Amino acid sequence: MLNSVTQVLNLKMKLSEMEFGAEGVITEINTEKQKINAMGIRVGKKLKMITKQPIKGPVVSTCGELEVAMGVDLASQVVVDVD
Amino acid sequence: MQKEEHPNRHKRQVVQGADMVLNEDQRWSLVDLLAKQTISAGTYKQTVWDVIGELTVKPLTGIPVAFAVLYAFWSVFGSFAGALCTDGFFVKFFDNHFLPWMQAIWPDPNSILYFLFVGDPLADNCFEAFGVLTSGLFIAIGVVLPAVLIFYLMMAILEDSGYLPRLAVLVDTLLHKMGLHGYAIVPTILGLGCNVPAITATRILETKKQRFIMMTLLAIFVPCGAQLGIMLEVIPESVGYVMLFLLIGYVVFGYLLSKIVPGTNPEILIDVPPYHMPQRANITKKLWMRTSGFIINAVPFVLLGVLFINLLYIGGVIQWLSDVFAPVFVHWFGVPKETAGPLIAAFLRKDLAVAQLSNIEMTQYQMISAVVLISIYFPCVATFVVMLKEGWKELLAAVGVLFAVAFIYGGIIHAIGILLGVA
Amino acid sequence: MSKKAAKILLVGNPNVGKSVIFNRLTGSDAVVSNYPGTTVDYTEGTFISGKQEYTVIDVPGAYSLEARDKAEEVAVRMLHEHRDATVVVVLDATRIERGLYIALETIEMGRSVLIALNMIDMAHDRKISVDDRKLQKLLGVPVVPLTAITGEGIMQLSDMIRKAQASDVKDILARAEGRASEPAQASGCAGC
Repeated sequence: MLNSVTQVLNLKMKLSEMEFGAEGVITEINTEKQKINAMGIRVGKKLKMITKQPIKGPVVSTCGELEVAMGVDLASQVVVDVD
Repeated sequence: MQKEEHPNRHKRQVVQGADMVLNEDQRWSLVDLLAKQTISAGTYKQTVWDVIGELTVKPLTGIPVAFAVLYAFWSVFGSFAGALCTDGFFVKFFDNHFLPWMQAIWPDPNSILYFLFVGDPLADNCFEAFGVLTSGLFIAIGVVLPAVLIFYLMMAILEDSGYLPRLAVLVDTLLHKMGLHGYAIVPTILGLGCNVPAITATRILETKKQRFIMMTLLAIFVPCGAQLGIMLEVIPESVGYVMLFLLIGYVVFGYLLSKIVPGTNPEILIDVPPYHMPQRANITKKLWMRTSGFIINAVPFVLLGVLFINLLYIGGVIQWLSDVFAPVFVHWFGVPKETAGPLIAAFLRKDLAVAQLSNIEMTQYQMISAVVLISIYFPCVATFVVMLKEGWKELLAAVGVLFAVAFIYGGIIHAIGILLGVA
Repeated sequence: MSKKAAKILLVGNPNVGKSVIFNRLTGSDAVVSNYPGTTVDYTEGTFISGKQEYTVIDVPGAYSLEARDKAEEVAVRMLHEHRDATVVVVLDATRIERGLYIALETIEMGRSVLIALNMIDMAHDRKISVDDRKLQKLLGVPVVPLTAITGEGIMQLSDMIRKAQASDVKDILARAEGRASEPAQASGCAGC
């Protein structure tokens, strides 16, 4: 029962808190939007979290053909609607 | 300062002749419209390169791989340059054939010209002789050339494969604490080849603060390929310790600078490009350009450096400087006062300076201290010139930091030696 | 057939192959690597196509014309310093959207533009196809597909440079939204 509920309800999550390999659609970019946009990471795009480095290291994610690494504070400002 | 960080943010220029300028969001939605009508993507199957791409950026697999890559780099460097080329061929050639031949054919061993060009008439190896045509040629061609050749070859492979941005991600955590971010690994690695292009490469960093810290650390703590090559030959058993001291200095002083230097330290935000098989044509071209650049620019410098140092010896300048600075050298740094000579040479060429150190009698720890001092006390003249091009104010500030760091760190290394009972 | 060398700026995102194109066109030896930010200063070279001599300037890569680092500042400065230069915007066919952004910015400056659609081979491997004819019609500037690393399409690029032209972003928007059904025949791009 519970499982089916979570499958329907999408979960909004910060990119910095996503699980390895989790995918979703970007809904918000709160700071440095221009800078992050310029790298090709934009609201409405599908994103896949690849990995993050230990001790508050950068988060690596792919967005289409792009693979971008960003610091954890930047990643915490990117909100993703996780599938 | 603020202005420098975001030069165009608030004053976007509207160029004459343009009928209409979009704002950022409008432009992106136009991009989307264009993309939707022109691009179609089929299903793409991951290749083995993509898998390797992920494995080398994930910490669990990526960090061991990074150590393996750096270790492989170092051991190939050492065995090719040190063991195979220099010891296997050039040492034998220069010491057994070239040096005796020069000593035999050059007239009048007591003349000034003999001293300048052939050096010590009793020397039986090319480090001791210290003449322009004996040690000068040996150091430049026999020791440093093979080192830079193999170094540039491996660096080209690293550059072309696409590994550097992944390495940048892995070291970001550490470098961010030093007022930089992971991408500073690119100038650092370039600097291990030669500091000159590395200083220019600091432009990939965003703020003045980051560039200043990077430039200062490059000038102080990153030894160039030529210096690495000669160290491998002169002090093979101590190179590891020298590198350890430099690495510790790089991290510790980077951290301190990040606290002192004003300005901001934005986080990493970089592209991680897909891996490519390095193309042989491009590797060969880069290797040829950089190696020929070394032969044209550096070799004459080494030869002139030997000449200059020998002239200073004849003029008594080096003896005089040794005596003047003796208290600092002996008591503060814990190295023989004769180190003054190599320190002057170090301004011209670091490789030359290390080669010169090999002729001074000292303990292993003193040798390690002296080599570290040579690395950190001042950048070579070529590096100095490019730093000047990036801004004289920064250069002055960097030189100030540099003297302070050399003095403090030199003293600390001496103190560590005393504590360990080896100094 | 002017005797004076015409100027060309190579502009685009980092790591899209501007320096490879530069080397192919001019026979120069600009350093090429696989990481963004290899070129941090500009390089100049020349070549001749159809009796016209061209001076090509290889510019550091930029994600947008709002410079973020010092290398990008060099790129923006070059665009402002060489106002009469034709701008060749280099796009990576596998990552085209991000490149289109800076292409639009350049077009909005009122510059004479040509699009070099690079890395067609990579796009093919990744099963991405780009309709370059359609893109040309929508943008109203010539689009040349090429694979600089093998040299494929370089000849066409050098032939097409003289057909570079300015376009109006208002028209591009109208065409992209389907409000103007036919491309700007009048602007002369039918021949390109």
